[in-house]
Amino acid sequence: MEGFSYVDIFATKGVEYLVIIAFLILLVWLWRFLDMSK
Amino acid sequence: MEARAETKDIRNWGDFVQFILRELKPKGDRLLTPFNVISAPVIVLGVVLIIYRLIHGLGSPVTNLSQDFPWGIWIGFDVMVGVAFAGGAYVLTFVVYILKSEKYHPIIRATVLNGLLAYVFYAGAILLDLGRWWNITNPIIGNKFGVNAVLFLVAWHFLLYMLAELIEFSPAIAEWLGLRRARKILGALTLGSVIFGITLSTLHQSGLGALLMMAKWKIHPLWYTEFIPILFFVSSIFAGLSMVIFEGTITHRVFSHQLDAEHSRSYDDILVGLGKICAVSMFAYFFLKVLVLIHNRQWSLLGTPMGYWYLTEVVGLVLIPCFMFVQGSRHRNFLLIRVAAVLTMLGIIINRLNYVFIAYKWYVPLSDRYVPTWIEIVVTCCIIFTEIWVFRWIVNRMPVFRKPPEWATKGFDN
Repeated sequence: MEGFSYVDIFATKGVEYLVIIAFLILLVWLWRFLDMSK
Repeated sequence: MEARAETKDIRNWGDFVQFILRELKPKGDRLLTPFNVISAPVIVLGVVLIIYRLIHGLGSPVTNLSQDFPWGIWIGFDVMVGVAFAGGAYVLTFVVYILKSEKYHPIIRATVLNGLLAYVFYAGAILLDLGRWWNITNPIIGNKFGVNAVLFLVAWHFLLYMLAELIEFSPAIAEWLGLRRARKILGALTLGSVIFGITLSTLHQSGLGALLMMAKWKIHPLWYTEFIPILFFVSSIFAGLSMVIFEGTITHRVFSHQLDAEHSRSYDDILVGLGKICAVSMFAYFFLKVLVLIHNRQWSLLGTPMGYWYLTEVVGLVLIPCFMFVQGSRHRNFLLIRVAAVLTMLGIIINRLNYVFIAYKWYVPLSDRYVPTWIEIVVTCCIIFTEIWVFRWIVNRMPVFRKPPEWATKGFDN
């Protein structure tokens, strides 16, 4: 059976978690950025 | 000057008939405007072609549809794009009636009317794309409900949502007719119909995307994903609001004489607010697209011609307009917000057409691919122009931009 390596960020979907975390952080930044209207 | 709707006194059927006949007459100083001169012949020709299509069917010379490309611009543009552009109604009713943000109240009637007419005309255009169009009532009357089909959900949702939007707009009709008791009852139904309408919208906006799930091997891997319904739903938020910005830009010039000073002043804030909502929803949509791309591991396809086309859509017509909305909202640059709205609308048109016939069977040689006939284009223009005529007719008669009559805002005396 084909297994996967725990260090393979794609096989473990780790990269998708990282994208989601980046999105949430950037969303907070975007929200605050938009609120600071000039 | 305060632009308020006049109060009509209709006491019996005779008054009502006379009133309707009077209202059917054209209003305005000039009939021969550039828009009328262009649109009227297109509408007349379009009606003739629609009758021809209903009698002679979908084959040549009416459409270029085939077994390979069963869906053309009547589904791709009229239905898929039209319904996405109508999404502004459910987003704004949610913001105004559920979140209680009064800032957007001045544009709510125009938006709901726009949504209602979009569903009547664009979703109604689905009739033209049905081979046996006379069977359109089957999912409703029970002559083979077809409960297993996504189209069963879509058909019922379209019907129910049109009714919900009609109820949401009905207080304006009651005010136009001077029906005080009916206005009171219909006004009380608004919140319920808004909640019902939002529920329906979330489901059928994504339902339209779910229709495409059947074509897994026919849609290019960069576009096909099991998350199409979610992408359709999220994109309908900024598609609808971009349409509200675009439509508001035109109507605020055309119907400027109907707007009071307070409305005109608040419109700039409304525009900035809409730009912010668009920016946030497009930001979320872009990340969803990135996530889907990574999930499906399709990045190697980005270097192909279809990949460049995909990047044009996702970067050029999602990410760039998103930044334009951000900058436009921050700096109160209204021109930038309007340009971003137009680019976003273009992106939605390309996105929906990609699913229906551009990225659909992308492997078919260019010479065998679907290209709409002139009849399909004229009929589409006819539907758009007719919707604009009806919108203008209603706005010139009912309190859409004008303030409601005083009896409607002060309370009810009967």
